[in-house]
Amino acid sequence: MKRKAFFLIVLFMSMTVLSGCWSRKELTDLAFVIAVGLDKTKDGRYMATFQVVNPGNVAGATQRGGGSGGVPITLYKATGDNLVEASRKGSQKISRLIYYAHTNLIVIGEEMAKEGIGPLFDAMERNPQFRTTAIVVIARHRTAEEMLKILTPIDKLPANQMIKTLQFTEKTWGQNISVHVGEVINDLTSEGKEPVISGFRLVGGVQEGERQTNVQESEPDARLSADDLAILKDGKLVGWISGKAARGVLWGLDKIEQTVITIDWKHKQEAIAYKVVRAKTSVSADMKKGKPVVSVHIGAEGDIGEALVPLDFSDPQEIFALEKKIQKEIRQEIIKAIERAQQEKSDIFGFGEALHRSDPQEWKKIKADWNDTYFPQLEVKVSVDASIRRTGLRNKPYMFGR
Amino acid sequence: MLFQWGLRKKQPANSATTKEQEQSGQAKDVPNGSLDTIVNVNIDIVQRTTGNSSDIVIRRFTIGEENPIHAAIVFTDGLVDEKIIYNFLLESLMTVNIPSSFSPKDLFLFIEQKLAAVGGVKHVQQWFDVFSSLLSGQTIIFIDGIPTALSASTKGGEYRSIEEPSTQLAIRGPREGFTESLRTNTAMIRRRIKNPNLWLETMKIGEVTQTDVGIMYIKGIANDEIVEEVKKRLRSIHIDSVFESGYIEQLIEDQTFTLFPTTYHTERPDVVAANLVEGRVAVIVDGTPFVLLAPAVFIQFFQAVEDYYARFDIATALRFLRVLIFFISLVAPAVYISATTFHQEMIPTPLVIAIAAQREAVPFPAFVEALIMEVTFEILREAGVRLPRAVGQAVSIVGALVIGQSAVEAGIVSSAMVIIVSITAIASFATPSFAIAISARLIRFLLMFLAAMFGFYGVIIGLLLMTIHLCSLRSFGVPYMSPLAPFIPANAGDTIFRVPTWAFKERPRLINQANIIRQGENQRPQPPDETNNE
Repeated sequence: MKRKAFFLIVLFMSMTVLSGCWSRKELTDLAFVIAVGLDKTKDGRYMATFQVVNPGNVAGATQRGGGSGGVPITLYKATGDNLVEASRKGSQKISRLIYYAHTNLIVIGEEMAKEGIGPLFDAMERNPQFRTTAIVVIARHRTAEEMLKILTPIDKLPANQMIKTLQFTEKTWGQNISVHVGEVINDLTSEGKEPVISGFRLVGGVQEGERQTNVQESEPDARLSADDLAILKDGKLVGWISGKAARGVLWGLDKIEQTVITIDWKHKQEAIAYKVVRAKTSVSADMKKGKPVVSVHIGAEGDIGEALVPLDFSDPQEIFALEKKIQKEIRQEIIKAIERAQQEKSDIFGFGEALHRSDPQEWKKIKADWNDTYFPQLEVKVSVDASIRRTGLRNKPYMFGR
Repeated sequence: MLFQWGLRKKQPANSATTKEQEQSGQAKDVPNGSLDTIVNVNIDIVQRTTGNSSDIVIRRFTIGEENPIHAAIVFTDGLVDEKIIYNFLLESLMTVNIPSSFSPKDLFLFIEQKLAAVGGVKHVQQWFDVFSSLLSGQTIIFIDGIPTALSASTKGGEYRSIEEPSTQLAIRGPREGFTESLRTNTAMIRRRIKNPNLWLETMKIGEVTQTDVGIMYIKGIANDEIVEEVKKRLRSIHIDSVFESGYIEQLIEDQTFTLFPTTYHTERPDVVAANLVEGRVAVIVDGTPFVLLAPAVFIQFFQAVEDYYARFDIATALRFLRVLIFFISLVAPAVYISATTFHQEMIPTPLVIAIAAQREAVPFPAFVEALIMEVTFEILREAGVRLPRAVGQAVSIVGALVIGQSAVEAGIVSSAMVIIVSITAIASFATPSFAIAISARLIRFLLMFLAAMFGFYGVIIGLLLMTIHLCSLRSFGVPYMSPLAPFIPANAGDTIFRVPTWAFKERPRLINQANIIRQGENQRPQPPDETNNE
């Protein structure tokens, strides 16, 4: 009896042990896909490009044998009728297990985006490995594959270079926006908001960019830079929005953290630079006489960064006049952005959602026609309250002192 | 269940051997019964029993001139203070003049009351007592015609002097540590607690070695039940030898099959004194500087002496650090193994690439790599402890250079692994109690196995099992995890926190129930003006 019990215990214990190492995967067996590029082939199939990290060649990762000669990334391509097929097919070319948990960037080719990005994200959202926090960008004028080929200096991993560029320019300049997969999916499914995705541009040629020599120059021949914002409608790329209007989009989305507004002063163009250090946008929507009305209020605080005209900042009157001017400038930016969006009939600001929140009953009636009928004729009231908090370390500009 | 099954089979064999030992060790050699009246017979017996050992000094002489009475003193050379014997026993005994009318009995009483100018004099009648006092440093005086001997306390001889303890160092606090002498040790405790209620009971344990073991506790503070339990367990020990308190520890602990120590041992008299005041019982074994304290609770192993000498904020911060250290020494390699073989998604991207780059050249799986390094480190540590000091330095150089640097350069292990093993090693050295650090060492390997098989899931299972086991442990009836589980709010201030000294209102409740109030009310210091107003 005891002998039996003993054997039973041993058997039960070995049961737990025998199932061991179930999902074990060594680091050296993994291909870390850091970025995925998505394009359409001519015959309408998907082409996925995997930017795989070459760990030994990422400088700084290790002193021993690192950085010498090799490139930090390798591209693998695979085509398929859907993304999962393309991904699995990729294993024919990669000696390791394709591992998506560290994929931080999705690049979508412009052609692909024009055809529609709607179905792309299902596989990403469904796969437990994939992070929905991966940043999404659209390759301007190029295919995603070409974008991913470019080697970059400073941040050796091109994907990191793109992500960090996007994040820091959003934070300090405010004409680009970093959106991740989860946000794109939310916007795609929401009826009152359309996605807006940053574009990325390739300056220079792919031939130069994909070579190691590209990063050995002080001014690389091929460079990646953040570009205009893509307006999408029904999951399809319909237009681009650029410059100050692009910043207007970020004002509208309450994404501005810091930026610089330059204003004209007394016939001198771009005379004063106003550094925004804090900004808050609030959007409210209402139905008035059967018509939707949206009011946007922007509160901004900032410092004077530069002044190229004679101006006495110790005079409150001057400051008030300046603030007015700044408010007008910001107001123009956002109005430009709204007009552009109305032109494309795509509610990238989420005004529809605001209306949904304030008047759900009415929203139900109009939501079907929102983008095409109501939004393009929407009355938007924009009010801006900008204040100058500090003028820097000087009052009067030194050029006009005494 | 598994263990019990194995034990039951072995038991008969075990008990048979102890019986044999008892017969051969004790009963056969030491003569039973009481002393003879004739000195020469007694001396013969002593000589025969000790096999004419050269360190047993026998001095025969006569007392009185007209009617000399034969006498002898016997002592063990080296265990006695010879000056006492010469100055206060031999001299007076050999020069004394006694009336011829003195019978041996009169002489006996006269010696006891007038001549033996030493502290403790006892009558001994049984041979067993004669030998046990002779061999523990007493001087035996035999007198012709009386079947009783006098045993005079002349203990002395060479001992290591009081030095700074080598295991539990403190920056602030007393510098002295226990020595190998039981008497010196008890004196060091007495010096700290000048209270008649500090009771010391001694017994001899070890059929062959007859080692003195002292039980110290404060009557009225210590829980009588626990004192009784300790005594009961000590009394039931029948073993041939006791050379260190570890022998006793293993025979009185509540559970053998546990990786955790259920008695606390220390080299510091201040720790013992503080624990006695908390109501614990100290077991002091002659011949070792390590004193046992019972009952012990888990959190006690994280309490360093300095916690109570330093201010509470610093003490609390250090307590936190120590719990963290214990945790690191427990799980660091296991976490590394699970993160790199199962949960690569949990490591930040730049770090996972850096680790992957290092592991590119390593031919082994992460678990084997970790095992190689951990075992190497354990070998180094063991070598460092055992080797003579002069060689020890060479070992550390070889260890640091060869294992650390060359192994990485040769591509056998990755440098991340070296970092993990080093932090684990340092963490295990930083644990205040060696007893708990060594448990963490063993559990670490178990957790590594679990991590290699199941990843974090396995590590969590392991930690859960450990917690369950910890909660089931008892030390002399006191729950091992108290006062955390069961949670006792009044005593929780001295766990992972250390509240200010004025807030230590009560002694540990589970350890003593009789006398729990520790200090008066309003011990919190106040600024002078406020007290004036009252």
